[in-house]
Amino acid sequence: MKKQHIFLYFISIFFTISVNSQEKLDTITTKESYGIRIGLDISKPITSFLDNNTNGYEFVGDIRVFKNYYAAVELGFTNKTTIEDYLNFTTKGSYFKAGFNYNAYKNWKGMNNEIYIGLRYGLSFFNQTLNSYTPHVKGTYFIPNTLDPNTEFNDLTAQWVEIVFGMKVETFKNLYLGVNVSFNNMLSTKEPENFKNLYVPGFNRVFLNNAGVGFNYTLSYLIPIFKKDKK
Amino acid sequence: MKKNYVIIFVFLFTFLSCEKDDICVETTTPNLIIKFYDNDDQTVVKQITGLTVWAEAKDNIYVNKSLDSISIPLNLNENFTKYIIESNTLKDTVKFIYNRNNIFVSRSCGYKIIFENLQIESNTTNWIKSISINNSTIDNEKAAHISIFH
Repeated sequence: MKKQHIFLYFISIFFTISVNSQEKLDTITTKESYGIRIGLDISKPITSFLDNNTNGYEFVGDIRVFKNYYAAVELGFTNKTTIEDYLNFTTKGSYFKAGFNYNAYKNWKGMNNEIYIGLRYGLSFFNQTLNSYTPHVKGTYFIPNTLDPNTEFNDLTAQWVEIVFGMKVETFKNLYLGVNVSFNNMLSTKEPENFKNLYVPGFNRVFLNNAGVGFNYTLSYLIPIFKKDKK
Repeated sequence: MKKNYVIIFVFLFTFLSCEKDDICVETTTPNLIIKFYDNDDQTVVKQITGLTVWAEAKDNIYVNKSLDSISIPLNLNENFTKYIIESNTLKDTVKFIYNRNNIFVSRSCGYKIIFENLQIESNTTNWIKSISINNSTIDNEKAAHISIFH
């Protein structure tokens, strides 16, 4: 195994040297695949497995529309119970994100990797269930009981924008590993009465200033549709 | 230059996202505030001497104090609280009756309780001459909700 790695290493060195030395003379054009890339976020099943309070999945897809521009979508479902000091609530719902990525990475010939920056519009439909809460009071003279109202707040919505930073690496032919982080900003929400959307599917935890962060780790497959000469 | 913008953006968002909301800093469930007045001239604040206050079957909140106002918590699990207010060994019992309303505050504080339709029932008159309710809704601690004349 080790020997094989060393062997590959040397081969790759020779390869890079040969490529570099021939660069100016090389007139052969390489083909680039254009197509639909679909995949799933593999971090979500893992967190679902490790954390009993979180359950979710996410599908991702993108399509190369122009040289370095990709139209991208994400679709997902989340069922998460959040436990705070004085609150316990469950958020359940689905989300949809659409936008584009701009690939800023200059690939060598024949490579299809990406380091990208992107923008997304996010939309979520969800329900919140207030499982239990303890009214907050200073002091301990009268200690309030914990209440279990199980109040359901249905038909809630949220809309937001995201700035996405990420990369995708082709590991095997047409198979990509990707990772990205997103910084979210809420545009509008339909808030429950006498409660607040503290967690929104796809947006994640809603911070005080309506900001949020997201993360995904994807495995995706490119279905090639046509090939185009790289210029 | 383009790269700098990206870095600035990342930092901006990171710092915005780290705003603290884990610690409860908001004002939550208010106490009942009582102010003591002179019964002869009902605009004059009059101190109570030898003041001891406790809720029925509970510990003392104030012991042998001289004060012109007190701030006492109301029972959060019942729609009434019975207080015994003692002035120089003269005991008076005051029963406060109210409706509780739970109001959402924030992630870290959860809910607070505000008290509505405050009424006073069955007060004895050993040293208290009369009681008036200034505000039957207790949702803040900015002003006295009740005046006691003695």
